Amino acid sequence: MTTETFDANQRDARFKYEVVRQPGGENLLLCYACGTCTAGCPVSQIDPEFNPRKIIRQILLGMRREVLSSPVIWRCAQCHACTAKCPQNVRFREIMRALWQLAVAHGFAPPHMLERIDELARLTHKARRDLVAEFVRNPEAFELLKEKCEHLTQTTDQA
Amino acid sequence: MKTTQQTPKGSKVGAALVIGGGIAGIQAALDLADSGQKVYLLERAPSIGGNMARLDKTFPTNDCSMCILSPKVVECGRHLNIETIAWAELEGVTGTVGNFTARIRRRARYVDSEKCTGCGECATVCPVQMPSEFDAQLGTRKAIFRPCPQAYPNTFVIDKRGRAPCRVGCPAGININGYVALTAMGKFDEALDLILDTVPLPGVLGRVCDHPCESVCHLGTLDAEPVAICAIKRFLADRRRLGGQRRMPQPSQPKEKRQKVAIIGAGPAGLTAARELARKGYQPTIFEAESQPGGMLSWGIPAYRLPREVLHHEIEDILAEGVELQLNCRFGSDITRDELTRRGYKALILAIGAQAGAPLGIENENLEGVYDSIRFLRQVNAGRPVAVGRRVTVIGGGNSAIDAARTALRLGAEQVTIVYRRTRTEMPAIPLEIKAAEEEGVRLELLAAPVRLHGIEGRVSRLECIRMRPGAPDASGRRAPVPVPRSEFFIETDTVISAIGQKVVMPDDPEFQKLQRRHGGTIQARPETCATDIPGVFAIGDAVTGPRSVIEAIAEGRKAAHAVDCYLRGVPFEPLPRVTRDQIVDHPPRADQSERPAPRRSAPELPVEERRRGFTEVEATLSEEDAVAEAQRCLRCAVCSECLACVRFCKAQAIRHDQEDVIEEINVGSIVVVPGFEEYHSTLKYDFGYSRFPDVVSSLEFERILSASGPFGGHVQRPSDGREPGRIAFLQCVGSRDLACRNDYCSSVCCMYAIKEAVIAKEHSRGLDVTIFFMDMRAFGKDFDKYYERARSEYGVRFVRARVSDVRQQNGQLILRYAPDTGGTCEEPFDMVVLSVGLQPPTGVRELASKLGVRTDKHGFMLTDPLNPLHTSRPGIFVGGPASAPKDIPETVVQASGAAAEVARLLSEVRNTLTVKAQFPPERDVSSVPPRIGVFVCHCGINIGGVVNVPAVAEYALTLPHVVHAEHNLYTCSQDTQDHIRAVILEKNINRVVVASCSPRTHEPLFQQTLRQAGLNPHLFVMANIRDQCSWAHLHEPEAATQKARDLVRMAAAKAALTVPLRSSTVPVIRQALVIGGGTAGMTAALAIADQGYHVCLVERDARLGGNLRDLPTGFEDQDLRAMLKNLIAKVKAHANIRVLTETTVVEVQGFVGNFTSKLSNGEEYRHGVAIIATGASEYQPREYLYGEDRRIITQRQLSQQLAAGNFPGLPPACVVMIQCVGSRTAEHPYCSRVCCTRAVKNAAQIKEHHPETEVIILYRDMRTYGFQERHYQRARELGVLFIRFDADRPPILTGGPRLDLSVFEPLLQTELHFHPDLVVLSTGIVSSAEDNDRLAKLFKVPLNDDGFFLEAHAKLRPVEFATEGVYLAGLAHGPKNLSECIAQALAAAARAGTVLAKDEIETSATIAEVLPDRCVACGLCTQICAYNAISLELQRIGKEERVFAKVNPALCKGCGACVAGCRSGALNLAGFSDKQILAEIAQL
Repeated sequence: MTTETFDANQRDARFKYEVVRQPGGENLLLCYACGTCTAGCPVSQIDPEFNPRKIIRQILLGMRREVLSSPVIWRCAQCHACTAKCPQNVRFREIMRALWQLAVAHGFAPPHMLERIDELARLTHKARRDLVAEFVRNPEAFELLKEKCEHLTQTTDQA
Repeated sequence: MKTTQQTPKGSKVGAALVIGGGIAGIQAALDLADSGQKVYLLERAPSIGGNMARLDKTFPTNDCSMCILSPKVVECGRHLNIETIAWAELEGVTGTVGNFTARIRRRARYVDSEKCTGCGECATVCPVQMPSEFDAQLGTRKAIFRPCPQAYPNTFVIDKRGRAPCRVGCPAGININGYVALTAMGKFDEALDLILDTVPLPGVLGRVCDHPCESVCHLGTLDAEPVAICAIKRFLADRRRLGGQRRMPQPSQPKEKRQKVAIIGAGPAGLTAARELARKGYQPTIFEAESQPGGMLSWGIPAYRLPREVLHHEIEDILAEGVELQLNCRFGSDITRDELTRRGYKALILAIGAQAGAPLGIENENLEGVYDSIRFLRQVNAGRPVAVGRRVTVIGGGNSAIDAARTALRLGAEQVTIVYRRTRTEMPAIPLEIKAAEEEGVRLELLAAPVRLHGIEGRVSRLECIRMRPGAPDASGRRAPVPVPRSEFFIETDTVISAIGQKVVMPDDPEFQKLQRRHGGTIQARPETCATDIPGVFAIGDAVTGPRSVIEAIAEGRKAAHAVDCYLRGVPFEPLPRVTRDQIVDHPPRADQSERPAPRRSAPELPVEERRRGFTEVEATLSEEDAVAEAQRCLRCAVCSECLACVRFCKAQAIRHDQEDVIEEINVGSIVVVPGFEEYHSTLKYDFGYSRFPDVVSSLEFERILSASGPFGGHVQRPSDGREPGRIAFLQCVGSRDLACRNDYCSSVCCMYAIKEAVIAKEHSRGLDVTIFFMDMRAFGKDFDKYYERARSEYGVRFVRARVSDVRQQNGQLILRYAPDTGGTCEEPFDMVVLSVGLQPPTGVRELASKLGVRTDKHGFMLTDPLNPLHTSRPGIFVGGPASAPKDIPETVVQASGAAAEVARLLSEVRNTLTVKAQFPPERDVSSVPPRIGVFVCHCGINIGGVVNVPAVAEYALTLPHVVHAEHNLYTCSQDTQDHIRAVILEKNINRVVVASCSPRTHEPLFQQTLRQAGLNPHLFVMANIRDQCSWAHLHEPEAATQKARDLVRMAAAKAALTVPLRSSTVPVIRQALVIGGGTAGMTAALAIADQGYHVCLVERDARLGGNLRDLPTGFEDQDLRAMLKNLIAKVKAHANIRVLTETTVVEVQGFVGNFTSKLSNGEEYRHGVAIIATGASEYQPREYLYGEDRRIITQRQLSQQLAAGNFPGLPPACVVMIQCVGSRTAEHPYCSRVCCTRAVKNAAQIKEHHPETEVIILYRDMRTYGFQERHYQRARELGVLFIRFDADRPPILTGGPRLDLSVFEPLLQTELHFHPDLVVLSTGIVSSAEDNDRLAKLFKVPLNDDGFFLEAHAKLRPVEFATEGVYLAGLAHGPKNLSECIAQALAAAARAGTVLAKDEIETSATIAEVLPDRCVACGLCTQICAYNAISLELQRIGKEERVFAKVNPALCKGCGACVAGCRSGALNLAGFSDKQILAEIAQL
C-alpha cells in the first residue's frame, strides 16, 4: 500500500527540541499519538489535510522543512479544543504558535502570509504613531483615555 | 469498650488484623488462619466480597465471578479462627510490630446478627427504596438490605442517615417520612397506624394543621414544591373513616397502673393527653365545660375547614381507647379539685385553652355589632345565627381572622375587609388560607391599624383606621409597624370582629387563681415537665403557651402524658427523646440528576360561588392515585423512615432500631491492609457524556447489566429505554494514562475486562456489534493475548486504535468522534457506550493510611518498595492488591497470600497461641441400634411457611418409618434452635437427623456440627431442600408444594435410615519443604518458609544460586539488583533451616500432600510435606534481525549490562533503535513477555539521560507499560525517545552492511521510514524451559500450558498452586513477570505451603470413594477419570488374594464421584452416597 519513503538523511533530529525551546512548545514530547486533538478539532472536520496528530508526528520525526513550509499550519483557528481534550497536556494550540514563530523566523512562511504579517506590523505601527500624534495635539483626550483605562482595569479586577 | 485479649507488653501476639474484605482480604484471612494465626477481618461494607462480587465473569477463562468467589466467602465465614467484622471501620492503631492495638468501630447494623437468619422478609415489607450500590445504582434495594443474596455475614443492615427534616420539623415528632414511605408503597393502613402511634386526630390534622413539616421539606430546596404531607395524612384518615373501618385493635395495654387522672378541657391538648395516658394504662377522665368536646376545634374552626363529622369520629376513636368524657362540667364551679381528689384522681392536667378574645383596647369597643372572633365563631359554630349585616370588618392577620372573615361571607356579608397592620408576607395565617379568602372575595386592608370605632345609636357604623409603614425590626425580627401621621381613614361597616389574640380564663377556684401567671396571663408551667406550682397539677396547651397551632397543642398533650406518667410512677423525669436540628440529614443524591422532580399533586376545591353558599368543606381529599404519586415524590432523606414495618414482620425479632456504634480494641501482632479500589468517577470526563446521557455507562455498571443477578436479569439493554442495543462502543483509558485528570498511571485491567465484557455481550446477543476504541492493547498477562485474538477472530469484536474525543447524543443515538490512524476524522453512531474506567484508591484511603501510620503517594496508593512489594512504610503492616498499585485479581490474590506469608514469618513463634479447635463430645455408637429418626421442618420465616403447610409436613413425617420425633421451627438454623435440636437428640435418644429446610450448600455444615455436639457422627444426617426447590419454585401452588415437601421429607427419611457413621482418616504432615529452583523466586520462597520455622531443601540445577537475576544489574526503579542478590544468597546460605543443594535435580517424586518423598540426582532421598516449583524461564535467543551475525545487534539484556558497566564500548552511538516483541506475540510464542516494554523505555531513558545527543527510537506494537510503569514511558518520551508503532504483518526490516539500514512503515504518516542505526537492541521475550518443565510436570503430575509454562489450578483464585495438593508454583516457571511480581508470588507460594506445614496432620474427607476389591478388575479406567490423581493401580493383598487393584488415596480424593459413575464393574462406592441409599430415596417416589 505504501507509497512514500522518507530517509534518515532528510531528517533533522533536533527539530523537536527546537520546537520545545519555543514558548508554547514545551509539552510537545508528551504526545503519545492518541489522536484526540485531531478528532476534536473543528478545522480537521472540514479540512482533513489539517491533522494535528500528523503535524506533531512530523515534528517528532524531524521533518523540519515539510512542517515549517507547509501551508497547512496556518489553518489552525486557535480555538483551544485540542488543548482542552488532550490527555497528555501537549497544548497543541501553543505548538502551532511556536511553529508560526519558527516559520517566520526562518523564512518558511508563504509570501502572502509574510505580506499579511508585514501589513499588520505596518498598520499597528501607524496606529501607534497616529495615537501619539493625537495625544500631542489634544492632551485632554489623553487624560480622558487614561481615566477610562483605569476604570476598565478596575472593573476587570472586580470581575 | 470491650477489649478482646490482653497480652503482656512487648511480646508478640498470635493474631492478625486484615483490613478490607474483598478477595484479597478473604485470601489473606484464610491463609493466615490456616497457618495458625487468629484473624480479624475488617470490612467497611455490610458484607465481604468486595468488588469481585459485583463482576459478572472473569477473564481469560470466563468463569462466573460470584461462582468462584462464593465458596471462598463461605469458607471464610465458617472458619473457626476468622472473626469477620463487617460494617466496621478502623479508628486507630497503636503499638509496634508484633503487638499492635487496633481500635475498631463496629457500626450499628440495627439488626441483631445473632438473631437475623437472613430470610429477607424485612426487605420485602420495607417501604423505602434506594438505588443499590451493589448494582451500580442501576437497580434498587430497600433501606434494610444486604448487598446480594450470597452476602456474608448474612445479616441485614439498616441504612439510617440521621433524621429527615419533616420529622424534626413536626412539633409532635410524627414519623412523617415513615408514613409517606408506606403510602408510596400503597400500605395505607400501616401508614395511618404509624401516625396514630404518635398522635390522635389525623383527619383533623390533615385539614387544619399548619404543617411546619412541609416548609422544611428538602424537596422545597430543589426547585420544586414540598411533598403534600398534610394532604397525604388527610387521605389516609379519610380512607379509613369513609371505608367504614374502625381503629384496629390496640396492642394489649399494661394493666397494672390503673390510677385515675383528671384532664380539664377536651381540646386537642386535653384529648391527646387523655389518649396517651389511656395507652399507658391509666384511667383518664376529661371534664369539659361545654356541651361538645373538641375545644377550639369545635368552637373556633369553621365547618368548611373541618367538617364536624370528622372531628366527632376521631374523638370517638380516642374515647374508645379508654378515655372517659364528662361534658357540661365546668371545673371550679361544677367540680372542684378537692372533689376530684376525693374521687381518687391522682393527678390533674389543665388544658383549658385560651378561651376569651383579647380586647382591641380602642374607643367604643362595647358598641353593638363588635365581636371578638372567639365569641363570633363560637356563636356561629354553636348554630346560633349572627346577623352580620352587609359589611363586615375583621381586625387581625392570623388564622382566626381569616376564619372569621370567611365565616362572615358565608353568613351573607357582601363586603368583608381584613384590617392588618403589617404586610401580607407577615400575616401569621396559612398562606393558602389567605389566598382562599381572597378568592372568595375578602378584601385585605394591609398596613392599617384601627384607631377608634364610631357608632350610631349604640351600634357600630364605621371603623377609623390609620395607615402604617414598616419601621425598625422588633424582637420577632419583623419590622414593627409605625403609624403614618395624618393618614386616618374610615371603613364603613356593620360588624367589626377583632381577632387580635386570645386570653386565658382561669377556673373559678381560689387555689388555681393563685397559680403563677406570665405577663400575658398564661399559666406558668415548667417547659419540660408541664408541672405547675401545685403538686400533681400540670398545665398544657394554649393556656400555657398562648394561642398556638393544633399540632403544637397535640405535642403538649403528649408531653404532659409522659410527665404525669413519670410523676405517678415516682421515677425521675426523663424528657421525651427529641431530635435536634443538627441531626437533620441532607437529601440523598438522586439517581438521575437531570430529571426535575414531578409536580405536586393537589386535591380539587369547591368552586368559589358554591363556597359562599354554605359551610360545605372547601377542599377535597386526594385521590388514592394522587396520594401515592405525592408520596413517591419524597426524597427519602433519612433513608430508613423508622416506619417499623421490619420490626412488625421480623419473626426472629432481630430488628434493633436503638442499636449504637460500638468501639472495640483488638490486640494483634500484625496488620494486612487490602482496601481494594474504586472505579474512576467518569462524571469528571465531561466529554464522554457520563451522567449526561443515560446510555453512557461505566464498565462496572456494564458488569451489572451483564450479570444474571443484576438489575436487568442479565438482559443487555439500554438504561434509557430498555431497548436491546445493536452497537456498543467501549472507550478505553477513561481516567487512566490521563494527565488531564492527574492519573498518570495505567490501570492494568481495563483492556482485558473490556475485551471480556465485549465477548460476554456478544454471547448474550450474537447480532451485537461491539467496537473497542483503544490506544495500546495491554493484554500482557498469561494467556491474555490469546483471549484478545479470540475476541477478534472468533467473536468478531472490532478493535479501533483511536482515542475518542467526545460523545454526543442525537436522536437517541450516541455519536462518537475519533481520528483513525490512516488520517481524517470519523463520526460513528452507537446505541450504547461503555467507559472502561480506571482504578483508583477508594474514598477514605488516606484517612485509613493516616490512622495506620503508613505513607501513600499523591493518588493515595500505599507506598511500597519494589524489592519488598508487600511492605508498607510501617513495620509489621503489609499491603496487597490494588491498594498499592492497580492490578487484576490473580495478582491481588498472590499479593494477599504473600502478605500472609510476611505475617506468618513475623509471628511464627506465636503460631497457634490464640487459635481454637472445635471440641466435640465422643461419638455415640449407633451401629447396633435400630434407626430413631428426628425430623425438623423449617418455616424459614415465611419463605417456606408462607407456601408450604409446614406443620402438616411435620405431622406427616411422624407417620414415616423409624421417625420418632418431628417438629417444625420458625428458623431451624437459628442459634436457639440448634441448642433445642441438641437437647431433643439427647432426650429422645435420636440417632439419625433429617432437616427439611434450605440448601445443604450453605447450611449442612451447621447442622452437622450440631449433631457432633450431641455426640452423633455428622454423617447420620440428611437434608431435604424444601425452600429453593419447593416453596420458591411453586410459589402459587401451596397444595402441590406441600405435597412435594412431604415427598422430599419421605425420601430424606428413607435415606437417613440407611446412613452409617463415616470416619475421616488423618495423615501426618512432614513439616519440611522442597523448593526446586535457586533463582529469586525459589530463594524468596525458601526463606519465607524457613522463617516460619520449617526445614527447607533448596535444589538448584546450576552451580550457583541466582538464576536470571545474575544477568540483570538494575531494576525498573533503579534498584541495585546485584547487591540485592548478594544479600539474598547470603541469607539463604546462612539460614539454619535451609539446606542448599546446587548442581542437583529432582529425579523421582512419590507420595501426596503432607507426605512426599523425592529422590534427588545426588542419590539422596528427601521427605517433605510440600514442594514449590520455581524453576524460572530463559531469555529468547533471537534468530531474527541479524542477531549473532552483526555485533551491532544486541539484546536488551546485553544493553542493560553495558549501561550498568558505565558506558558503551567506544563512542556513544548516534542512533539506537530498539525493536519490541522479538520472540513475543509471534506464532511460535503467542504471548506477551510483559517486561520488555518497560525494560526498553527504562534503557532508552537511561541512554538519553547520559547521552542526550544520541537518538533513541523504539519500534513497538503496543506499548505495554502497565500500572505505574506508564510513568517510565512518559519519562522516556519527555527525554525525547521517539516511538514508532508497527503492525505484526509489517515488521521493520533490517539490512546489514557497513551502514545498517532499518526501514519501518509509519502508520500515521503512511510513510516508509529509513534509519541508519549504530546499534539495534532487540527486546527479546521470555521463553519457558520447556524440556525441564515437561520432566518436572510429569514427576509431580501437574499440567503445563501450550507455551510450556506451568498451569496453575485456577487462573484467578488459585494462582500459585496446582490441582495436585501440596505442590506450589512461583516465578517465571508460571509465566513472564517482573521482579516484584516474582517476589510476591514466591511469598504467596510460601504462604500456601505454610497452611499445610502448620498442621500436625491432614484430615481427609469422609465422603470419598472406596474400592470394592471383589468387583475390581483393575482395568484402570478410574485412574484416567480421576482429576485429582487420587486413584492408582497397585499390587495389594486383600484377604487371601494378592493382585493389582485400584486404590483410592484418601488424602487426594475429593469425593466428586466421577470414578463411581465411570466404573464399569461397579467396583467403586462413594461413602455417604451409596447405591443403596440413593435407590432407597428414589424408591420413595
